[in-house]
Order: sequence, then C-alpha cells, then structure tokens
Amino acid sequence: MTTTQLPEIDVKSRGWVDQMIVNATNDTKSFSHLGFADLRLALEVVDLDHTYSFGVVLDGYDFDCLGEIDSFDDFQPEVTLSGTVEVWREMLSNIKAHGAADTAHTLNTLTIAEFPMQAKSQDPIGRDKFFRYAATLQELFDHAFTHQKGGDK
Amino acid sequence: MTSTPDITYAEKLAKGELDLGWLRNVSSEWGVRAKPSKIGLTLRDIAIGSYGIIPDVAPRKTMAPRGSDVDSDVPDMGYTINTKAEVWSENVMELYEEAVSRQWSATRDIAWGDIPELSPDLEHAMSQLCTLLSEVEMVAADFPAKWLWRINHDYVETKMFLCTQCMDEARHTEVFRKRALVNGGGLGKAKAVVEEFLKLILDASSYDEGSALMHLLGEGIVLSLFRAGELISPSPVEKQIFRLCMQDEARHVAYGTMHLKYRLQNDPSLAEDFHAFLDRGEEIMTTLLSTPEVVEPIIVLAAGGVEQAAEIGAAATGMLGQRVVEEYLQRCERAGLDRRSRLTLPTDLDWVSQALASK
Repeated sequence: MTTTQLPEIDVKSRGWVDQMIVNATNDTKSFSHLGFADLRLALEVVDLDHTYSFGVVLDGYDFDCLGEIDSFDDFQPEVTLSGTVEVWREMLSNIKAHGAADTAHTLNTLTIAEFPMQAKSQDPIGRDKFFRYAATLQELFDHAFTHQKGGDK
Repeated sequence: MTSTPDITYAEKLAKGELDLGWLRNVSSEWGVRAKPSKIGLTLRDIAIGSYGIIPDVAPRKTMAPRGSDVDSDVPDMGYTINTKAEVWSENVMELYEEAVSRQWSATRDIAWGDIPELSPDLEHAMSQLCTLLSEVEMVAADFPAKWLWRINHDYVETKMFLCTQCMDEARHTEVFRKRALVNGGGLGKAKAVVEEFLKLILDASSYDEGSALMHLLGEGIVLSLFRAGELISPSPVEKQIFRLCMQDEARHVAYGTMHLKYRLQNDPSLAEDFHAFLDRGEEIMTTLLSTPEVVEPIIVLAAGGVEQAAEIGAAATGMLGQRVVEEYLQRCERAGLDRRSRLTLPTDLDWVSQALASK
C-alpha cells in the first residue's frame, strides 16, 4: 500500500459511513441483484490515542448506520472490520480515485493476512458471514463516494 | 393401497356427485396464516403451528408434505435417514433463503471480455488452479445428490438447501472451466491424489462421514482457497469470480458447522466417530497440500511470476496456510469438536516455503 498523496478523508467521523449508506440506499438495483444480507458489522478506526467504532447493520436489502458505538456488548457485532486511520484512509482514497476498490484494496485482500486490516469475530459463524456477504460488502464500500462505475469490480 | 381406478366414483362424478371428502374431512391444521417478513415469505415464516414441528424421528417414509393429512396406506419410499439429528442444522432455513436470494450467473455476471492477456506462466498458473477447482467443486454436488433421496421428506428444508448447494457447485464447476478456456490457457493436470480425496467423500459410508469430510474439512479449505484466489487474482474479473464463489462456499461451511453441532448436541458419543472421519480426511488433505499442481499455481500467482515464486510466493502461501488451518480448527470448536489435539494437518505451511527455497 502506498501512503503518499492521500486526499483528506475524515475517517474518524461518521460522515463517510452515513454517506456510504445513503449512496447504497439510493442504488437499490446494484444490491438487489446481489441478494439480501443479514449482518451486524462494526467498523473500527484505530488512531494513536483513540479507537473510533461505527455500527452498520445490513438487514435484508436495507442498510443502516448506527453512528459511533460506545459498547460492543450493546451492539454485538458479528464481524468487526478493524484498521488504523491510515489504512482506512488509504482504502477509501483508492475507492474514491477509481470508483471502486482496485485489486490491491478489496476487503478480502486487505484482511486475508489479518494485515493491514482485520476482520475479527468472536464466533466463526459470524466471521464466515463476512465471506457469505463478500460481494455485498465490497459493493457497499465501493459506494462510499458518489458512485461511478468503472473501477475494479 | 390400490392403483385401480374407482369406477363407482367415476360414475358418480359423471352425474355431478362430488365426493368432497378432501374438503370436509381433513385432519391437518386449518386457519394458519403465515405472515411475510421484511424480505418476503420465508421458510422461517411458514414454520408455524403444527407445520413448524420437525419430528426428531420421522413417523413415515413418504414424500407427503410435513403436516398434511396422509393416507394410512402410502408406500414406503425407502428413506434411510429418518432422524432429524442426522441432517438438521439450526440455520438451514435461513441458509436456503440466502442461497436462493444470492444466486448468480457465470455467463451473465462475469465480465469475461475484460480479462487481460497474461504472461504464459501466469496464464498456466491460473488455468491449473481453475482445473483443480473445476475438478473438486462438482463432488460437493455429487455427494448431496447421492444422499438427497435417502433423506426423509420431513426434513425437506435440509433437502432444499442441499439442492441449492448442488446448483452452487454446478456453477463453480462451470465458472472455473470457463476461466480456464477463455484466455488461451486451457485445462491443466488432474492429479490422482485429488481424486482420492473426492472418492473418500463420494464413497462415505454415512451422511455423517461425508458431511464432515465435505462441508467442514473440504469446503472449509476450499473457502480459504477462494479467499486466497481473490487475493492473488491477476485481474478484477478473477477477483469477482472468487468473491462470488466464496459467498456460496461459506454457506455450505456454515451448514456443515452447525449441522455437526446439532448432531453432537443430540449424541455426544459420536464425537470419536467424527474424529476418525477427519483423521483420515486430514491425512489425504496433507498429501494434497504437498502436491505441486495444487500448491505451486497459487505460489506463482501470489508472486506474480515464476522467478519471484520461491521467495515471495512461498512466504505468502505459508502465511495463508496458517489461516486455513486455524479457521478450520475454530469451526470444529464451534461445532463442539476439539480437533486441536488430534490435528494431523500441518499447523503451518512453512515446509512449503522450505521446499521451494531449497530448489
């Protein structure tokens, strides 16, 4: 991963998550084609002195952002996608630049070695949901910005 | 049961005298109104009242729908799996719905025209990997198909899920065969050791044995292979192929994991049997993972070429191997089967790295 010339994306605020949900909700055609999903997903943005966690719910064909979550015990995510501020910024910048993640920045590519991101779960069945909905999740993150087809999908 | 026409009834019917016994004298439950949930009317939504009661032991061996008013003289269909614990998993209804909802087409949904020209070595590697996957995937349709007709119709949700698995695996066989043939590579080598593992699954003497070998061990490892495939794909087209296959495979593994859990919860004494099945499966799998045609295409693709393979690719494969085994062990643990002390698979694939480095 390269870290040079990154556009400033505020990955520590919920704004980008909200925007991603709005963009995805406005593109029902892309997601209905992929089928329904059922997942409680936490996004963990790790900074030097603080970890920012956001709750996302995939419910059928709907998406919801629960904003910043204080307690994982309350939210009970089935999967937590975790990475540093730099890694999140890199991934999102890549999506912004290409309209979709390129081959080096897909969710699976970034998490398979548990580095630079991790897809964490207390339960293997929960973790396997990350695989069961792989296409939907990639499509969701590819919608982080106003969607333009033509990326690496 | 008689199969001769009822002439008396035919004569009455000709005179307009209806029997209406089916209308007036039915003992099945009346007044049931299933409510659709958010995504539509699901199997879970209709598992209500007497229709939602899934017997631990099937009272008959018939194709009559569960909950219907069944004639007493229905023929015996010869089912050999007549207990719930043999095939059930608590997530099977949801997995069926998910499978139906998330079907895709290897013809329509893959941008075949966008595959770039690859170097001959990379194209060979991709074609060999696709040969292997096209070979192994169909057993995961053959095995359920072999056992489907033996499963009592009272467990129809499991039968329906296994039908989706057959379709999934047909599509996987299709998509990897298509990938091998679309870019000039063609099919590569098919190895005897691979066939030996497939035969072990196909020849399983019980559904227990075959399901453990296939759903838990085989498909668990293939799921990891699909993840690795997505990682090392030379183009976005292959990424999409592996991502879509990954989804399907993870459903099958989810069924296998939760089925084993249900099975062991109902009869913990079976644990040793399952250990024995997996001992044998892991033994062949270990041989399989030391087969050049299986391992080296992944290494070459991971490295981006043969020249870099020994260093970069082997290290990457060793790392992936650790994940493969750990994820398999975690699934066994989730199902209630502690394999850590019995494991015969290598806990890491450093031996692959060492073997390649010595070349």
